[in-house]
Amino acid sequence: MNFAPVWASRWLLLDSFLTTLFLSAIAIVVGTFVGTLVSVLRALNIGVLNVILRIYVEVFRGTPLLMQLFFVYFGLPMLGIEVDKFWAAFSAISLYTGAYVAEVLRAGVEAVPKGQVEAATALGLSFGQRLWYVVRPQALRVALPPLVGVYVAIIKDTSLATVIGYNELMRRAMELVLQYGRPLEVLLTVGCLYFIICFPISKFSEWIERRLARNGA
Amino acid sequence: MFLDWGSITSFYGQLLHGAWLTLVITFSAFALAIAVGIVVAAGKMSAIAPLRWLASIYVEVLRNTPVLLQIFIVFYGLPSLGLRLSAVTAGILGLGLNVGAYLGEIFRAGVVAVPKGHREASAALAMSPMQTLVWVVAPVALRAIFPAFSNMFIATILGSSLLSVIAVPELTGRTNEISARTFLTIEVYSFSTVIYLALTLGSSLGLLLLGRWLFPRASRV
Repeated sequence: MNFAPVWASRWLLLDSFLTTLFLSAIAIVVGTFVGTLVSVLRALNIGVLNVILRIYVEVFRGTPLLMQLFFVYFGLPMLGIEVDKFWAAFSAISLYTGAYVAEVLRAGVEAVPKGQVEAATALGLSFGQRLWYVVRPQALRVALPPLVGVYVAIIKDTSLATVIGYNELMRRAMELVLQYGRPLEVLLTVGCLYFIICFPISKFSEWIERRLARNGA
Repeated sequence: MFLDWGSITSFYGQLLHGAWLTLVITFSAFALAIAVGIVVAAGKMSAIAPLRWLASIYVEVLRNTPVLLQIFIVFYGLPSLGLRLSAVTAGILGLGLNVGAYLGEIFRAGVVAVPKGHREASAALAMSPMQTLVWVVAPVALRAIFPAFSNMFIATILGSSLLSVIAVPELTGRTNEISARTFLTIEVYSFSTVIYLALTLGSSLGLLLLGRWLFPRASRV
């Protein structure tokens, strides 16, 4: 084991690590927005719209993220839409995140007993009021731990953006491997970088889950 | 738009061949993952503290780093320790070890979900620990974890696409290769998307039916 080349490249690695964090953060924010929008629209229960949203969620959850990245990066230009590496990675991962967030929120919404929504309707609460005051607090309780779990998965999955050449941590790692021919040292170092960001978030998710279980759902 | 759906018919054979390899990889990796999962779950519930720590470290490390990185470590990293594997073998090993960490946690959760009284009752009936595990704990635990278990199988199908990055010609790899060669990008990716959906949705349905058959409603707890 010789970590000297890795140490010599520490600023490059740190720079790419920040790129990974940046890509993860914006994909999580936008994906959460998309997923929330999808679950609110689903609650409206409009036939055609529900079918379209369902197809969106099933397609993005039922195919590999890798295919989605390739489709956006290589496919869209064929339709005359030019996308650079960043936009391809960002849009594909955000849409992918959105589908998983939508599914987690759906499970949360379904966990709210139907009678409560009916009772709220009988009390004259509007659709928005029912959603905000009755469904949201209870659904989030159920959905929060798995939601944080999805976020951890997304941070790890941004590593796939390397296949379209977006210069995040994984890409930089493979460049260093080619440059120095020290695969094990480079990959273990990069693994530590992913671990120090993902591990605390995973533990946080477990902590919320335990706390909510103790307080009673 | 100039989409040429007619031209991709000549690639159906290659793509279906890729899909077949995807299935082979998925089943091999999942079989490995089940074995790893059992060992990990046993380790996490062991009476020996160091074994518990080892199993916990394994689970945390594998679940909190990208699976692509794990596959790279097996494929590019292990040769420097003198272990050189083919791309398919390395990919199956990397994917299986990763899914195994998740399955380990799922198996453990299943065993924990079995009411304590069941084990006490088996002990009272003078069943051996092995008999208790096979006839009392396992059926109840498996029923509890079956949905999570099924999800991991779907995740393995999706994860197998990562082997394309180390040049394994499974479905994603074939699709990339045909797309680069013919520029029928939209057509060929659309077709493969449909195959993936058929594989994942088909497996979901199959596993749901398997679950209903294995654990009939009447005997559910």
